[in-house]
Amino acid sequence: MTTAVEISVDSSRALDSVARKTRIVGSALVGPALILVVAINVLPAFYGFYLSLRQVFFFGDEGYVGLQNYVALFRDPFAWQAMGRSLIFTFGSLVIAVPLALVSAMGIRRLGKWGSILLTVLLVPWAMSPIVVALLWKWILVPSPGGLVGAVFAAFGMPPQDLLTDPILAMPTLILIAVWRNFAFAAIILTGGLGQIPRDLYKAAAMDGLGAWEAFRKITLPLLASSLLIVISMLTISYFNEVQTIIGLTGGGPIRQTTTLGYLLYHTGFVELDQGRGNAIAIVMFMINMLLIALYIKILGKQPGAAA
Amino acid sequence: MKTGTRNGLLLLGCLLAALVALGPIVWAFSTSLKPTNRIFQVPPELIPSVSTLDHYARLISEGVHRAFLNSGLYAFLAVAVALVLGTVAGYSLARYPIPGKQLVLVLFVGAMAVPGFAVLLPTQLLFVNMGLYNTYVALPLLYAGHILPFAVWVTRSHFNTIPRELEQAAQIDGYSRFEAVWKVVLPGAKPALLAAATFGFLHSWNDYVTATTMVDTPGLRTLPVALIFFQGFHGRDWGALMAGVIIATIPPVVMFLLFRKYLIGGFADGSVKG
Repeated sequence: MTTAVEISVDSSRALDSVARKTRIVGSALVGPALILVVAINVLPAFYGFYLSLRQVFFFGDEGYVGLQNYVALFRDPFAWQAMGRSLIFTFGSLVIAVPLALVSAMGIRRLGKWGSILLTVLLVPWAMSPIVVALLWKWILVPSPGGLVGAVFAAFGMPPQDLLTDPILAMPTLILIAVWRNFAFAAIILTGGLGQIPRDLYKAAAMDGLGAWEAFRKITLPLLASSLLIVISMLTISYFNEVQTIIGLTGGGPIRQTTTLGYLLYHTGFVELDQGRGNAIAIVMFMINMLLIALYIKILGKQPGAAA
Repeated sequence: MKTGTRNGLLLLGCLLAALVALGPIVWAFSTSLKPTNRIFQVPPELIPSVSTLDHYARLISEGVHRAFLNSGLYAFLAVAVALVLGTVAGYSLARYPIPGKQLVLVLFVGAMAVPGFAVLLPTQLLFVNMGLYNTYVALPLLYAGHILPFAVWVTRSHFNTIPRELEQAAQIDGYSRFEAVWKVVLPGAKPALLAAATFGFLHSWNDYVTATTMVDTPGLRTLPVALIFFQGFHGRDWGALMAGVIIATIPPVVMFLLFRKYLIGGFADGSVKG
């Protein structure tokens, strides 16, 4: 379809060869990107599966062991505890981040120009490095009356608390920092989603005597469903795989209270260098990720708005 | 009256939100300027009555600036590779008939969804076996691979919206196909390219976990890794640590502020069309 000039005597054969040529050119152009993406993002997953069936310790491959790494993993109570911690971290963050993002998006929408400035301000923490965020919050939370949170405790006449080493408070603290870091990213997508709801609908609803809450429930929520699902799926995957702020803030402690599956993988594979076992965890995490992605694609596919 | 209170509440909420978002960063900046003996002063002082740049100078004397340059170099290389390969692939996916195109698209979207962390451990062993571990190539290569799917996706979405007639008209005027794309189509793709570049820069510059597992020698370290090592040796030196936080934060935040329009557009675009 590039040049009409080449179609001369035997037009069908010429067309055929032109079509083949464009197919070859097209493939050659996609090739390099495809090779790099497969090499960096896809192949390691297969290699990880291969390694998870072997005993690998400190970069030394000691041979095939079948499913032994997986069996040991599923028998390990600490692994199940880590799974539980992952669920608490993931859903605890979601429960706070999604409503917060929704409220912010509605405020941002209403404020117009000032709203987009507010969105930019809220996104600054998201533009920061997660490990740098961890360093920053370690200082904010430093247990001393000279620290920022310590000063707040002091203002209420309380001694400074070390939130990050408290077995009960460490996890909620991590959750709040995770939400602080990236909830505004969800607000971007929700703000975009809100912008696509025709304003006339609200006018009509007001004329029909619907209150603000009813309008929110009957217009905003249903029409925002596909954006909400996108946001929930992106955040679930991002929180489930969060590891950098945990490394920086608590190192999985105190007494494993913040050891999520991601942190367990980091610790087993990169610190203890038990790479066979670590790869078994990596494969389990990879499968959970695929399952989550498939689940969300399925739910999203049913949404009429998502087809656009 | 009622809308008055409502707007008042909205304004209050906004101020509070802005304070929570920026407060900690402003506090870190303030700490980085205070002389060490005033850092733990009670009550805390937001605007330092005595200020100094000693902490920043100390980071340089500890060689942290080397890591700053490494971070910049890796991010630049990764973005350059991803933009070139991504634009070419994005254009081709938008224009050419390619065998198995649907599968290729699913691969790119899937790679975008799977976080790099889940495959980092096998990648480390792969890189050790291939001799790429602890080299200057390791991180730019990995980052380019992480950024590429997004680069392909935004450029393809953009090229899909450009009518073919535009290039065809240029070709009739005597341009070759490459010239037509380079001179006529690509300038219009600036928003998509800037979105991919900004995303790529933030991803590479802000990474810690890939950098700490793929390079080892101090000379190859990135800024976040160098800061964590610095913390390991001088854990209580909050002045220097916060100076580090500030210098690590300025480049990505400036980049984000400059190009936020394109980045936000790119995400909103990708999600609606995804």
